[in-house]
Amino acid sequence: MNSDRLSATFAALADPTRRGILARLASGEASVNEIAEPFDISLPAVSRHLKVLADAGLIERSREAQWRPCKLKAEPLKDVADWIEHYRRFWEESFDRLELYLKQIQKREKKHVGRKK
Amino acid sequence: MSAVKSDREIVTTRVFDAPRDLVFEAFTDAKHIGQWWGPNGFTTTTYEMDVRPGGAWRYVMHGPDGTDYSNKMVYSEVVRPERLAYAHGTDDDGPPLFHATVTFEDRGGKTLVTLRSIFPTAAIRDRTEKEVGAIEGARQTLARLAQYLAQESK
Repeated sequence: MNSDRLSATFAALADPTRRGILARLASGEASVNEIAEPFDISLPAVSRHLKVLADAGLIERSREAQWRPCKLKAEPLKDVADWIEHYRRFWEESFDRLELYLKQIQKREKKHVGRKK
Repeated sequence: MSAVKSDREIVTTRVFDAPRDLVFEAFTDAKHIGQWWGPNGFTTTTYEMDVRPGGAWRYVMHGPDGTDYSNKMVYSEVVRPERLAYAHGTDDDGPPLFHATVTFEDRGGKTLVTLRSIFPTAAIRDRTEKEVGAIEGARQTLARLAQYLAQESK
């Protein structure tokens, strides 16, 4: 696994049309025409998006079948998901701890104020 | 809540039931930050905390398995009690691993914290080299990611 591939995956995922294409392919392989159908863009534009996705290793195009279907590839997505998960955990757990901590110190402050009175 | 907003940017938000001054202090005072920083099981030792533009927070995170992680944050912007921007790196002369901004907004006595991180490749590489697992998990993860992508592309 190298950093360039993960960067390429992130760049590929940054575009909403490409995320739409991946979501479509998550339900099964499809031809370029089928992929293009729900989008209001030209076939060459779809092909350009597919090339970015293929370069990032996110999809694979069959060489055998005449209609050259596109297929989702899981591995780079897993790398990204793992990485996001790691990052998410760091902040979710830090923020959980901060929430508790803020509660504690506010309680303590209240007590101090109470004693002074 | 976390979401990928653009190329290599991740945004995390949380509303805390505490006034903004106090939340800002919790991020910028060494006596506070060591109490909550890091995932469960981690502790933090601060060696230096100088929250001014150009100042640094040097600290070591101690993992639950005993591994130490040296960190250094260099602040580029400090607007009390609204905003922090910093470059986050390891404690050596290497380039920062990522850049982040933290904003603090008053929400009627509560505080909305928004953390934005932009990751260059080095951080990504370091994390992923450790984490690339077997393909077995891929199907499960993919289902989760597909769900995530569906939400994001709405």
